[in-house]
Amino acid sequence: MASPCEVLCETEDLAFARALGNYAAAEARRIDEKFSRYKAGSVVADILASRGRSITVDEETSRLLDYGEMLWRVSEGRFDLTSGILRHAWQFEEATDAPRLERISDLMRHVGWQRLQWKSPRLTLPVGMEIDFGGIGKEYAVDRVADWAARESRDPVLVNFGGDLRAAGAAPASGAWQVGIESLAKPGHAARRLALESGALATSGDARRAIVIDGKRYGHILDARTGWPAPGAPRSVTVAAPTCSQAGSFSTLAMLHGAEAEELLRAEGLRYWILR
Amino acid sequence: MQLKRKPVGATLAAATCSLLGSLPAVAQEAKAWSVDSSLLYYGEDNGRVKDLSLMASIRRALDEDRSLSATLTVDSLTGATPNGAVPAGVPQTFTGPSGGGSYTVAPGAQPLDTTFLDTRVALAANWQQALGTAMRWNVGLSASHEYDYLHLGLNARLERDFNQRNTTVFLGAAYGQDEIKPVGGVPVGLSPMAGEIDDGTDRGRAGDDTKDVADILIGVTQVLTRRSLLEVAYSYGQSDGYLTDPYKILSVVDPVSGAPVASTEDGIDFQYLYEHRPDSRTKQSLFAEWRYAFDRDSLALNVRLMDDDWGVQSQTAEARYRWNINERSYLEPHLRWYSQGAADFYRTVLFEGDPLPAFATADYRLGDLDAYTIGAKYGRRTAHGEFSVRLEYYQQSATESPGAAVGALAGFDLTPDLKAVIVQFGYKFDF
Repeated sequence: MASPCEVLCETEDLAFARALGNYAAAEARRIDEKFSRYKAGSVVADILASRGRSITVDEETSRLLDYGEMLWRVSEGRFDLTSGILRHAWQFEEATDAPRLERISDLMRHVGWQRLQWKSPRLTLPVGMEIDFGGIGKEYAVDRVADWAARESRDPVLVNFGGDLRAAGAAPASGAWQVGIESLAKPGHAARRLALESGALATSGDARRAIVIDGKRYGHILDARTGWPAPGAPRSVTVAAPTCSQAGSFSTLAMLHGAEAEELLRAEGLRYWILR
Repeated sequence: MQLKRKPVGATLAAATCSLLGSLPAVAQEAKAWSVDSSLLYYGEDNGRVKDLSLMASIRRALDEDRSLSATLTVDSLTGATPNGAVPAGVPQTFTGPSGGGSYTVAPGAQPLDTTFLDTRVALAANWQQALGTAMRWNVGLSASHEYDYLHLGLNARLERDFNQRNTTVFLGAAYGQDEIKPVGGVPVGLSPMAGEIDDGTDRGRAGDDTKDVADILIGVTQVLTRRSLLEVAYSYGQSDGYLTDPYKILSVVDPVSGAPVASTEDGIDFQYLYEHRPDSRTKQSLFAEWRYAFDRDSLALNVRLMDDDWGVQSQTAEARYRWNINERSYLEPHLRWYSQGAADFYRTVLFEGDPLPAFATADYRLGDLDAYTIGAKYGRRTAHGEFSVRLEYYQQSATESPGAAVGALAGFDLTPDLKAVIVQFGYKFDF
């Protein structure tokens, strides 16, 4: 998950607490390994190895591909599971590397859901294209763990994978989980404190990963139609929704709508917190 | 110029359901109001009792821990019900109290009281509250009214979880006070049914009467495994007061010929005595239910043993299987078997010349009987609520008391079978 993952739980049931910890760790690892593009034998590696041939994917991968397709459709192409390849142009961990930006138009020839063929369970990915579940995998993992916890117990549980989180079971004894949104100015400190009784919170933003070119800051959430971040995108968007998948999708969609992020979230009737 | 976006929340929510395999429990804000309603038809064969019952219940959750509910039920009863007398080789005429509603029964036919007609309105209110995380209690009030009957009741129940919620112990108590106001007053037990004459005397009748009913219940629900649980409950009930049915009678017959005995009363041909039951009844029952959850379906089996100091003992066994056809619909077949031994004072007839017993009833509901119910319920969730249809068939076979079939009576079916159908439509929704 490339970030700290934790599970908080209020229970007197030691067996449940142990099982929860084991399940969360195992599930996070399983999803990470299954959908990682870096691990041999992962679904993503299999898809890349198909070299343009049609392959049959398993049921869980089908559900994630269906979900990705839905996001591509509702975002009118802004969100795209095939846009991961753009990382070759945008190196967020490194210093400015302007020449690489010229590669964007090259890489854009390999971006676009409309170029592949997907009808569950068969996928045909043209040679040169990639699929990356990074945009939805972590939230999916949070929901999986939270759903499991809710099935097993009514005790209060908070699943937090790198700041994307969801509450399961009853509200904690204090009434609500206290969740901080990290300050942009003072990393490690909360800019705001939110009370979460149930449901999920997810944050998208460039607080940690951004590139500065000619004094202009570019975030890592890229509009798949252009290969660039949406102009006027907030620094950070936090959205509350029933599930982490929904919260994460909306926070990403808001980032992809740039200056219109607030307008989008307001129209959806969601609770959100935006830092610019 | 960009076109105005349409909200995509619903699309996303639906896609999330597909992604996660189910609608997460926390995704839905609990609705504050829930409504449950049903229309039930119960119809016995051969023109006997028909009941049309309409029920509406509304529940308001004030918060996660507290809720208030109210239920209104209206029953409309029509048809005919056995009055307790036995068939005879000649026509028999019966009269209602105060000379009203006389009816004649053909030779050989089971005497049914055709003046039977009633509307019952019942109201109940209930308050439920959680006390901390392991305890809940509820308290309720109930009232029902028929033209000749008024019931007022009070009930309470306390539940406490133990053992990491694997064990729940519950305690319940109920108290009811009923007022019986039969037309013309309550008949004196074992007094003769009078003729169709209103001479101003009370003719063995004594105004209204009352009864008190108190019940206590104690039980435990124990989770046995991840898939099964067991519930065991014991209840004790005490009724005091007027427990007799003011409309039920017994035939007085000749011990040899089995023919009805002529009446000395004016305006009535034969002798019938009003039934008479003791004025107190103590009931005990033991109930056990085992529920098992399969991967998709579930099964519930239960038995109930009941015993009272009138000598009635009954056994009930019941099975329900819930077949979850898909995410939205289920089919629930249901089987029930019931067997009862008669009350000590149950008899089909009274014989002329025998000393009058202290108590007597010919009410088939206190006789030896076996009954079974077979049926199924189908339920389906829609976008707005859940509807259900229940269809059941009920059959009851009674056994006459030994030695009753003397003379002419041997040629009659003194305790005919009873068959009934039950159809129920239900609809519930939250808002």
